[in-house]
Amino acid sequence: MSDVIDRGGAWAVVGAGPHGLSALKNLLQLGLDADGFERDTDLGGNWNFHAENSRVYESTHLISTKPFTQFPDFPMPDAYPDYPSHWQVHRYFRSYAEHFGLLDHLHFNSEVVSVTPAADQRWDVTMRDRETGDETTRQYAGVVIANGHNWWPKIPQYPGQDTFTGEIKHSADYKSADVVRGKRVLVVGAGNTGCDVAVESAQNAKETFHSTRRGYYYNPKYAFGRPSDQTADLLLALRLPLALRRVMFKSVLRLTVGDFEKFGLRKPDHEFFETHPIVNQQLVYYVGHGDISPKPDIARFDGSTVHFEDGTSAEIDVVVFCTGYLAHFPFLDDSYLNLDGDHPVLARQIFTPATPTLAVSGLIQPDSGQWTIAHWQGMLIATYAALRAQDPQAAQRFYDAMVAETGVRFTGGAEYKDSTRHYYEIAHQEYLRAIERDLQRIESMTPSVMAAAR
Amino acid sequence: MSRLRRSSKVMRLWDWSVPPTSAHREVLSIVPEGWIDAPRATRKPPILFVHGLAHGAWCWREHWMPAAAERGFPVYAVSLRGHGDSGGRKRLGRTLLRHYVHDVMQTITELPQQPVLVGHSMGALVSQLVADRYSPRGLALLTPAPIQGAAYEMPKLIRKRPLDAAKVLAGGTLPLRAEQLFTGLDEATAARYVDRLGRESPWAQYELLLPHRIGPVRCPVLVVGTPDDRVVDEKAVEVTAAAYGVDPVWLPGIGHDLMLDGGWEKALSVVLDWVDERC
Ligand SMILES: Cc1cc2nc3c(=O)[nH]c(=O)nc-3n(C[C@H](O)[C@H](O)[C@H](O)COP(=O)(O)OP(=O)(O)OC[C@H]3O[C@@H](n4cnc5c(N)ncnc54)[C@H](O)[C@@H]3O)c2cc1C
Repeated sequence: MSDVIDRGGAWAVVGAGPHGLSALKNLLQLGLDADGFERDTDLGGNWNFHAENSRVYESTHLISTKPFTQFPDFPMPDAYPDYPSHWQVHRYFRSYAEHFGLLDHLHFNSEVVSVTPAADQRWDVTMRDRETGDETTRQYAGVVIANGHNWWPKIPQYPGQDTFTGEIKHSADYKSADVVRGKRVLVVGAGNTGCDVAVESAQNAKETFHSTRRGYYYNPKYAFGRPSDQTADLLLALRLPLALRRVMFKSVLRLTVGDFEKFGLRKPDHEFFETHPIVNQQLVYYVGHGDISPKPDIARFDGSTVHFEDGTSAEIDVVVFCTGYLAHFPFLDDSYLNLDGDHPVLARQIFTPATPTLAVSGLIQPDSGQWTIAHWQGMLIATYAALRAQDPQAAQRFYDAMVAETGVRFTGGAEYKDSTRHYYEIAHQEYLRAIERDLQRIESMTPSVMAAAR
Repeated sequence: MSRLRRSSKVMRLWDWSVPPTSAHREVLSIVPEGWIDAPRATRKPPILFVHGLAHGAWCWREHWMPAAAERGFPVYAVSLRGHGDSGGRKRLGRTLLRHYVHDVMQTITELPQQPVLVGHSMGALVSQLVADRYSPRGLALLTPAPIQGAAYEMPKLIRKRPLDAAKVLAGGTLPLRAEQLFTGLDEATAARYVDRLGRESPWAQYELLLPHRIGPVRCPVLVVGTPDDRVVDEKAVEVTAAAYGVDPVWLPGIGHDLMLDGGWEKALSVVLDWVDERC
């Protein structure tokens, strides 16, 4: 173990997507030492288009508008539109990192291959240089895991799938409409990616079928001349009860988009807010133009034919599974993340009951933009890390109170549909109210953190 | 004082659901040669100046910006919307302090690194509201509009300058005259500056009367006041300083507009020495 470099009180951050960046920034801002590791040659994570693990495609634009999506201490430029493109998002993350001086603390091309416990609740973090293959191990006081949960494809299996003569792709392989151009296409799944791909296919493919397990609410990006997520936040701000918000949302949909069933789409089998919101104004439009044929779940594959559960079938050249992604932590023993089957069960979706010096940032799927939450997760982790450095006993008290709430969900009163897609779903305002209370508590325990920081 | 909260404010429902509109921004700057290529760790931090009520970025351009750049600081000054050569004049009647905060935040994100914020009068209050969401390298508050709200000043204003008070309450811009802003300027120069003053948003002025929260400020804070200030009294300066646990620095002989008044060199060196030492 002599070749382990001791990094003293420093924390390691795995990943330089928005969650890793904001954790790194907040740790440094509170006066801690920290190193960030990124397996790619550039920062931005999912929004770093050319990275192996980026899941954005050429046409990706945000589905949430700027005010809530951005880091609260680093707003996006006024010159950006309401729904910026992935190129603009990437540029934004770069200027964030430059402004806060993060580049000096980031190691690129460095894949974390193992995170193992050392004495005194410290961690040995081993990274592999992806150019040379060299491995180095450094020891840290704590680790923030921010490796993202939107890159490890979840691929379903249907009867006869191996006999299918066409191509099978996952949205992970979908970077542009080249995949579908001129073909007979089946898009599977009605997440935001599935709907985007279906629309793009409608514009470029010969024929497009869209298979979904259930009917959904397809929300418009604009309603009554305002971005609809801002209106949703306004209703939440007014603290309107869930039932009333449901009625209002459904009437807005009816007034602006119309009756889904009349378009040949299925009636949603669930209440509003019970599934992750889909924001897509174009899907219904293309269904109405006959360029997308809605289909139920797949029953089986047979040669070049796909049979659906309603007894219909279609001839297909390429299937694009937009069936989502799973969290994946290949560098860490599962026992540290309190797994329930295939997903971690944490406190605030951040702290694990297994150890006080490991925190996860980004294991969330909010009904809103994400980086405001990334900032506050990073802030809570950093404040906690700073308290551990100054007053370990107080930090332990905070940690104990935190993990007593392991598994508590923030659903905004709704019952999420049971699906891997909702493992990490949160109602953003309810979640942030909890984080605000946590910060109040921990900041009152740490007057000296304020003074110690620069 | 109980209104002053010290913990992080996460919920910003208003900003999320009704975000401030954008307006064209005038940003003046002087960046010393070679600064941008110097190593980040050793070069001097940028300074961003935020002007006060009815002023504009021009008030810093007059003396402070060139002098501070001469000392090696990259300096920037923003005109809040409706002021100086920024846009938004027509919408001034619908402008709130949060729009000013937005303008300063937008300016900050264009800077190459975290600046020291230097706010004057109402700009000092805006700077404090900015520091509630963003961690600047340092926060200098010059003859600051009181964080606890200026409502307590109203009876005095009504007694001493009833017409001015009536005007403000009716939504007019608080009249600022040479004798209130300056102590040591010749008449012509003072008149030239007073001439450049513009209008202020009535809503922003009303907001100045109310108490405001300060956030968990984690950077060094400097509070500068003058006993010869006829706009912001000594008590307001003391309360602001106390809120941050610092002692105010007093500069007798200079008036409220300490970046324009005779003796501005002294005031500037107090600020820059503090930046060199503490930030
Ligand atoms: C198509 C699509 C559209 C989306 N649209 C929106 C939207 O409109 N609004 C929104 O808020 N969110 C959206 N998201 C969600 C998106 O995932 C988040 O915005 C955000 O990118 C998550 O950030 P993260 O830092 O947690 O993960 P990521 O962005 O995935 O970053 C993780 C980083 O960790 C690195 N990494 C992983 N493992 C290792 C390792 N072992 N060692 C070193 N580095 C490692 C990866 O290379 C990557 O750079 C969208 C996602 C997709 C796929």
